[in-house]
Amino acid sequence: MKHIGLGSIAMLLSFLLSACGGAAAPAAVPTTEPAAPTAAPAPTAASAAAPTAAPAPTAAPAAATQAPAPTALCGLGNGKAASGEPIVVGGIVGATGPDNWSSGAKSATAYFKCLNANGGINGRPVNYLVEDDKWNPEQAALVAAKLVKDDKVVAMVGNTSFVECGANRQLYEQEDLMVIAAVGVPRECFEQKNYVPTNAGPRVSTLGAAQYAFQKYGAKRQVCIATNVPNAGTWTCEGIEAWGKGAGVEVKSIYIDPGALDATSVVLEAAAWKPDAVLTSLPAGVATPIFKAAQDQDLREKFHWLGPTSIYDLKFPAAIGDYWDGYVDAQIELNATDSSGPDNTAWRKIMDTYGDPSDPRDTFSQAGYLAAKIFSQTLLKLDPAKIDRQSVTAALRQVKQYKSDLMCGEWYVSPGDRQNANHAGRMASIKGGKWVTVADCFETQDIDLKAIRELEAKEGLVSK
Amino acid sequence: MPNLAPFLISGLAVGAIYALSGVGLVVLYRTCGVLNFAYGAIGAVGALVAWQLVQLSMPVLLAGLAAIVVTTALSLLYGWVIAPRLAYRETVVRGVATLGFALLLLGMCDLLWRSNTPRQVRLPTDTLGFTLLGARVTGTRLTAFLLALAITIGVVVFLNRARLGVAMRALANDRDVSALLGISVLRVELWAWLISGIMAGVSGLLLASLVNLNAGTLTFLVIPAMATAILGRLRSLGATLAGGLCIGLAEALATPFATIAPYRSVAPFAIALLAILWQQQQPAFRLAKD
Repeated sequence: MKHIGLGSIAMLLSFLLSACGGAAAPAAVPTTEPAAPTAAPAPTAASAAAPTAAPAPTAAPAAATQAPAPTALCGLGNGKAASGEPIVVGGIVGATGPDNWSSGAKSATAYFKCLNANGGINGRPVNYLVEDDKWNPEQAALVAAKLVKDDKVVAMVGNTSFVECGANRQLYEQEDLMVIAAVGVPRECFEQKNYVPTNAGPRVSTLGAAQYAFQKYGAKRQVCIATNVPNAGTWTCEGIEAWGKGAGVEVKSIYIDPGALDATSVVLEAAAWKPDAVLTSLPAGVATPIFKAAQDQDLREKFHWLGPTSIYDLKFPAAIGDYWDGYVDAQIELNATDSSGPDNTAWRKIMDTYGDPSDPRDTFSQAGYLAAKIFSQTLLKLDPAKIDRQSVTAALRQVKQYKSDLMCGEWYVSPGDRQNANHAGRMASIKGGKWVTVADCFETQDIDLKAIRELEAKEGLVSK
Repeated sequence: MPNLAPFLISGLAVGAIYALSGVGLVVLYRTCGVLNFAYGAIGAVGALVAWQLVQLSMPVLLAGLAAIVVTTALSLLYGWVIAPRLAYRETVVRGVATLGFALLLLGMCDLLWRSNTPRQVRLPTDTLGFTLLGARVTGTRLTAFLLALAITIGVVVFLNRARLGVAMRALANDRDVSALLGISVLRVELWAWLISGIMAGVSGLLLASLVNLNAGTLTFLVIPAMATAILGRLRSLGATLAGGLCIGLAEALATPFATIAPYRSVAPFAIALLAILWQQQQPAFRLAKD
């Protein structure tokens, strides 16, 4: 038999890897803020659903704008289809690749359909163009250039991408274009002037879970399991370690390759450290084998199991099975998907009326709804004849003290270089095969948020 | 020094599946001269089919059997439709063709079963087990280990004793001469594809239960499996078994060492490379090559 060349095998393997490999992650940025002592989670009352945006600089004359109907599901709520000149709005999502993150843009699409059927932006419909960056930074830059330069969008809404925040930062700043994103995940999504996610991010969310474990269970030794992706997994666990130093909690970080084959070794490593709690800061699909391996080792009662919003997936309780019923807690960045507040109710109704039945009804979808609503309400205050990128950017920069039952605190667009308005959340536990909210809103004590809170107070971004 | 005993248990089970996969690759390569890069993807399809059937309320054992039927059918389909048309092409061309098949199957999996959706396969053997050296050995882990040993021994005996096994070896040595001697080339090759398909199905199910039910992860099973096969020089099934266990153990035992733990996934490549370099220094291997 002829012998195959080993070089040929290496070539084929490298081709397989390059054909199927994930996107490269950008380099880590060191945390520079000093550690500060942290306080216990302070409960904050959930806000009433009465969205308010500060007056925009180009506020419309009274004759050009109309007041929304008091019971409006979206926009003006007048039931008249908008027929004026369309306002072009963009959105970039990572739909094709390691995961499908198009849920936020789908709910934004449903919201804009509702808006266009109800008077649009004072008579002008929104033409919402969504592009897929395929989890590829080059593709993200390509589709952003198309939307920004060719289609001349006035803003981006509902973006949810792992690579886009870093890839398009320069473009958005050069073009002075605002992005009201649905969900941000890596650090770059929260540390730029023009990109404003509605969610809290994995670092803040995991820290919320850590604080809960400390407060509720007295967990003074915690393991943080995250992916080894710089500016995402490592950024998250570094935040927990920094908080732990101030709070007197020992934290051990375990970074894993999301494609690694051996979850049992990871679980055994965590167990060998004898923690009080384990934080699984991983996407639900990656966390599932960790829970399976922990079940095989019968570890549910050895320590407490928690995670950030990423495991608050409606399919997660069924995926990990009955064994975990009553043993898993998750911090949730937006309100429970079955909550009864006005915004959550409107989101569900809009999805049922204007969305596709197959569109997910998940946290990403709530976030897309919220981004589209904030954007639309801001534009409704402008003179429809004078809506362009400049006026939209100026108006969005003025959004502050925005209240919604979907968020614990008030949301705003910061005048600074960092955008992390959402930094409080609730806790949910798996009970009876589904997620049940078990703790109301509390603030997270990330030391990185110190400058953000100072700016909030100084600029009046949230009510006192 | 951390306690390595629990990691030993963990590594042996995963290593056994690497070995099982490596044996599946070697059997096919020895018979047809095809390095099957679609091995992991075929296993992934089987595992996802099993999960889907369990969701539709089929008993898990039946679903597992159905999954193996599907992986065997996929393997046979390739071996019947595509492989014979490439039989006289270079080994690299035949390998690249299976790579195309792997990407096709991976794309199909992503289309039918959205990636990263939380899902898992639980086998009845998961609930059985005992504690050894500080780690719980589940029935699935024990099954994986024993199955790797049994299948390797079984295949060695089959290739040396059974008429079909001898025909497979003859085909591996010279396809044309074997045909002249009256061996039905296509029939024997299809048997090799069938065995490989069954082993891909079993490996996929075990790995989906022990590790992760994800099309991408299971498709990339082919990488450690390929490294395992290289350790056996694509010929020796005993060395392939030992190689698989070594790679599994190396990956697991590196876990408690913080400095090397992030590089655990390099273990298959590193061990295969070291083995090749070592083999190049040995006169016996050089003579065999000549």
